[in-house]
Amino acid sequence: MTGLVARARAIPSWQITLSIALLVLGFLIAAQLAAEGPRVQYTTQERSPLVETAVQLQAQQDALKAQILDLRNRIQSLEAQGPGAAASLKQLYADLGQAKIAAGLTALTGPGAVFRLEDSSTLGAADEGLVTANDVRVLVEQLWLAGAEAIAVNGERVTVSTAILDIGGSVLVNSAYLAPPYTIAVIGPPDIYERLQQSASFRAFFLDRVQRVGLGLSVAELDSVDVPAFAGTVSVRFGTPDASATPIASSPPASSATP
Amino acid sequence: MNRLFAVGSRRQYLAIALVAAILGILAVGQLRGQSNVPGLSNLSTQDLTLLIANLNARNDELRTEIADLQQQAATLETSTSNGQTTVDQLQSDLARIRAWSGATGLTGTGVEIGIQGPIGSDAVEDLLNELANAGAEAIEVDGVRVVPGVVVAGDPGQLSVENTAVGDPFVIRAIGSPEILLGTLTRAGGVISQIGVTYPDAQISVTPLTSIDVPPTTRNLIPSHGQPSL
Repeated sequence: MTGLVARARAIPSWQITLSIALLVLGFLIAAQLAAEGPRVQYTTQERSPLVETAVQLQAQQDALKAQILDLRNRIQSLEAQGPGAAASLKQLYADLGQAKIAAGLTALTGPGAVFRLEDSSTLGAADEGLVTANDVRVLVEQLWLAGAEAIAVNGERVTVSTAILDIGGSVLVNSAYLAPPYTIAVIGPPDIYERLQQSASFRAFFLDRVQRVGLGLSVAELDSVDVPAFAGTVSVRFGTPDASATPIASSPPASSATP
Repeated sequence: MNRLFAVGSRRQYLAIALVAAILGILAVGQLRGQSNVPGLSNLSTQDLTLLIANLNARNDELRTEIADLQQQAATLETSTSNGQTTVDQLQSDLARIRAWSGATGLTGTGVEIGIQGPIGSDAVEDLLNELANAGAEAIEVDGVRVVPGVVVAGDPGQLSVENTAVGDPFVIRAIGSPEILLGTLTRAGGVISQIGVTYPDAQISVTPLTSIDVPPTTRNLIPSHGQPSL
C-alpha cells in the first residue's frame, strides 16, 4: 500500500495534467461524433455559401411575407373606409371579408390546443427518431378529422395550397424551411384533444411514432389559441372561376369522417 | 542535469500546449455548431440546393403577390371618386379568393389521375400533397373538392372522403400546369413510383387535359370557433 502511494507520488505533475487534458479531449471527440450521428454534419467549404444563401433567402421570405400581411391589412382598412353610400358595395366588402376568413387570409383566435412534436431524445444510428413531414401531415390530417378549423405549423398557416415536404432531416411547409421542434397550433372545438384521442389512426400513430420510436409529443389545451393568416400567394392562373358560382353554406360535421 | 531537465520540460509544455490547442478548436467547433441556424447545418449539399431552389421559387411568387397587392391598394386609394372601378376590382378579387379557397368551382387545364385497385389513404394523401407542391390550384377526389379539413381516410378498399365511400376505380382531378403536374407525379423515384412499391397492385395513370371542371366544396369554410384576431 505504502509502495503504491509512493509510486503515485512519483508520477510527475505534468503527466497528470496531460492525462486529464486527454480525457477531456476524448470526451469532446466522442460528443462531436455523437452529434454527427443522426443529422450528418457537413463542414466542407463548398457548403458554407449554400447555407448562407439559404439563410438569406429564408430571411427574404420572412420579410416578403411580412410585407404581404402589411399590404393586406392596408387594403382591408382602405376597404373599410370605402363603403359609405351604396348598400351593394357594403355587401361586396362584407363578402370579401368573409371570403378572406374562409381562405385563411385572416388571423384567427379561438379555443383549441397547441401540440409540440420533436425528435426522439434517444436517436439511434437510423433516422427513424427524426420527425418527418409524414409525421406532421398525419397529425394535421387527424386534427382536421377531429374538427379543427384552422391549423398552423411553426407559424405557417395550413391552407388549400399547403404542401408539407421532407427536406433533409427537416420539413418544408408552404415552401418555408422549418426546423424542429414543430409547434402545431390548432383552433377547433374545446374538446379537440379528446376527439383526437378517439381516432384509431391517431392512436396507431401515437403507438408507433411516439411510444415505440420515442418522438416527443406534448399538448396544451387552451382557451385561446392564435393562428396567423396565410402570407403566401393566392393566384389562379390556370383556372377560370365559375361565373355563376355562389358561396355555399351547408356544413357537414367536422369530425364525421371515418379515420 | 539542468540541460536535461530543460529539454524534458520544453517537451512537456509542448505536449500540453498541443492538447490545449486541439481542445480549444473542438470546443469552439461545438459552440459554433450549436449556435448555427437550427437544422440548416445538418442538410446535405443536395438538400441545400433543393431548399434554395424552393425558396427562390417561393420568393418569386411572393414578389408577384406583393406587386398585385400594391396595385390593388393603389387602385383603391385612387378610386374613391369612381365607384365602378372599385366594384370591378372588388368583384375580381372576390372571385379569385373564392375560387382559390374552394368556395366556387374552377375550370382550367390540368391532369386527371385514374386509380384502380387496392390503395391506402396514406398513398392518396401523398398524391394530394405532391399535387399541392406542384402548384395545383384546385383538386378534387372522386367529385369532392379538396379544401382544409377534407381528408381521405381508410384502408385499401374502404376509402372514404367527406363521409362518402370512394369508388374503385376513382379519379383525382387537379387544375394547374399540365406539364408541371405530369412531370412532378411521374418522375423517376417520384410519388407514383413510391406508391407502386407500397401498393404494387394499384394501377395509377396520369392524363394531361386542356379542360377540367373542379366543383366547389360543400363545406362551410367560415369557422364557428375561431374569430378574426383583433
